[in-house]
Amino acid sequence: MVFLREGLCPGLTEEVIQALRTQEIRTVEDLVSSELEELAQKCSISYKALVAIRRVLLTQHTGFPVSGADLYEELLSSMAILSTGNESLDVLLDAGLYTGEVTELAGGPGSGKTQVCLGVAVNISCVLKRTVLYIDTNGGLSASRLLQMVQSKTSNMEEQVEALNRILVCRVFDVFSLLETLHSLRSGGLEQASVRNGPIRAVLVDSVTAVLSHMLGGRQTEGMSLMMQVAGALRLIAKDLNVAVLVTNHVTRDGNGVLKAGLGQSWSHVPRTRVLLQRVDGPQARHSGLRWATLLKSSRQPCHQKQQFDLGSGGQPADSHPDHLQRREQEDVFKH
Amino acid sequence: VGSRERGAGMQRDVSSLALAPGVKVKLIGAGFLSAGDLGELRPLELSREAGITQQEALEALEALRAARGEAEPGRGGRLTALELLQRERALGAVVTFCSALDRALGGGLPLGKTTEICGAPGVGKTQLCVQLAVDVQIPPCFGGLGGQAVYVDTEGSFLVQRAVDLAEAAVQHCGAVAGDAEQQEAMKEFTVETILSQLFLFRCHDYVELLAQTYLLPDFLSQHPKVRLVVIDSIAFPFRSNFEDLSLRTRLLNGLAQQLIQLATQHGVAVALTNQMTTKLGKSQSMLVPALGESWGHAATQRLLLHWEGPSRFASLYKSPSQREATVPFQITAQGFRDVPPADLQLPSADPSAAPSGDPPTSRKRPRADEGEL
Repeated sequence: MVFLREGLCPGLTEEVIQALRTQEIRTVEDLVSSELEELAQKCSISYKALVAIRRVLLTQHTGFPVSGADLYEELLSSMAILSTGNESLDVLLDAGLYTGEVTELAGGPGSGKTQVCLGVAVNISCVLKRTVLYIDTNGGLSASRLLQMVQSKTSNMEEQVEALNRILVCRVFDVFSLLETLHSLRSGGLEQASVRNGPIRAVLVDSVTAVLSHMLGGRQTEGMSLMMQVAGALRLIAKDLNVAVLVTNHVTRDGNGVLKAGLGQSWSHVPRTRVLLQRVDGPQARHSGLRWATLLKSSRQPCHQKQQFDLGSGGQPADSHPDHLQRREQEDVFKH
Repeated sequence: VGSRERGAGMQRDVSSLALAPGVKVKLIGAGFLSAGDLGELRPLELSREAGITQQEALEALEALRAARGEAEPGRGGRLTALELLQRERALGAVVTFCSALDRALGGGLPLGKTTEICGAPGVGKTQLCVQLAVDVQIPPCFGGLGGQAVYVDTEGSFLVQRAVDLAEAAVQHCGAVAGDAEQQEAMKEFTVETILSQLFLFRCHDYVELLAQTYLLPDFLSQHPKVRLVVIDSIAFPFRSNFEDLSLRTRLLNGLAQQLIQLATQHGVAVALTNQMTTKLGKSQSMLVPALGESWGHAATQRLLLHWEGPSRFASLYKSPSQREATVPFQITAQGFRDVPPADLQLPSADPSAAPSGDPPTSRKRPRADEGEL
């Protein structure tokens, strides 16, 4: 629905608009779907002028066909698969995060969603040397943990600094700020910010549920609409900017006590790929960092595949690692 | 020029703007779908076209302008991970006076983050909170933060006499280690009276008061920029009684959690929340789990479980973005929250998250005289 306004197309003058309005024609849709001959008579505008206006408006608002071959060509030149740096996850995701797609990690508290996100950010910035935007909505982003992970990848100080500079951080705590950030990304606000490090190739949102869950349910209708806005914005930046989008989600239990991803049915269509993270049960697994990853939704791989991995192997310090030594390493980074 | 060629910022949907739902419905009904449609209108025109009041039209256009300003580069809270690291390092942490727990937490309770402290009654949640409220005030020359504390008491469990005990112990401790002239000088200011005067206590009786208090806290923190710690003891109590609509409870709690995370980040304060334990009935055995439901588990950045293991107390870090999970012993003495001397150390056995709830009640709430040093 687009409002008829002066200057929208040649010939659509103030008088024409006023005349159309007397017949309750206010939007482009109204004009396009009306019977022009009858309208011309009622508003005493020339039939020819109306037809011309309609033609221009239609061409302005129409889509245009793209051939499959062109699309494939574009795909080959622009699509990238970004490895997560976690072998088990790469197996489930068929080599990594695909640009142009939304991938989701779901899991309960302490299931390792944030750790996986931090690991992905570090792998993309440090190993693949690409720029990442990390949108933190639940305060889980810890820069010292990022540094630990970077240090496990490279011991070169300058590379560490570069890697950290390639991770852009945005901390937003409500859905409107999140939408603003996503929209500003589309309008190029962040492209300029990242120009020295190249364009952003991945956007991580940890977690998308935190800003939405308190607005969903009850008698509120606003939350649902905002959720779909977030979904639309995520899909758009994935496609338009050709970036890989990774979001995290909470879990709920269905009637049988089986875990399923949160935010309900309508959200479940948003991510192209969905992975469930769970703790490994059992006393021997206590404090171990072992996690199960299960593929819940994928267009490339058979679902319900399971992989086990260790969060700690991403470079968390061993217990024997003295605290002060760790601190000294951090200070060294600032000297550069 | 077609709408297609206008700036991408103008394509933003009206429904994604931070406006009242009723205003949005009217705007969309009148044909204003994207930010671009509102572009060149004046408030008066808009109010006439969309059938909203002039005040609403003005607000809508202002929201639009703010959103567009946001789209320009260099605005908003964007920074690189390196800058964030510098900020994190500058913030520091609140020590607990239990070195094992400080190590597990990476130096103490981190500023800028929220930490949930869960535990059965009498295990020491409130003791830890009061200890933190005292420790946050240790002068910087002793390695402290020299800050102030906000204590929101919902259970009525804050005992000022206990705060005096802990403050006396902290002052004594610092006095004993004070060496150079700067530390001697700082000791003149660091007394029980100043500690108590820099501890702001709020008493909330039900969840409405707690919510109101939380939403007003940002103002309070702006007026008192030295506050470095916010304690809510406990978050569970007002939400566990007289609450019939569980879905409403979940929504209120999630909103509260976001509010607190925002508070912690924007004001650089440590937020400590205490939570009670509840019994979850399983198929074979029942377990003690933190109250307020599973989704509340996402709320705090870190989760610390305090639990009994026979006669000794242990703290388990269950969830943390930066630290490895760990279980450490602690004890509560007349002086406060302390390390367990190595001689008394007993290793924990079972998984704390699945501690059987079958303990006799006497083992949980024990008289403080049993704790040795009193």
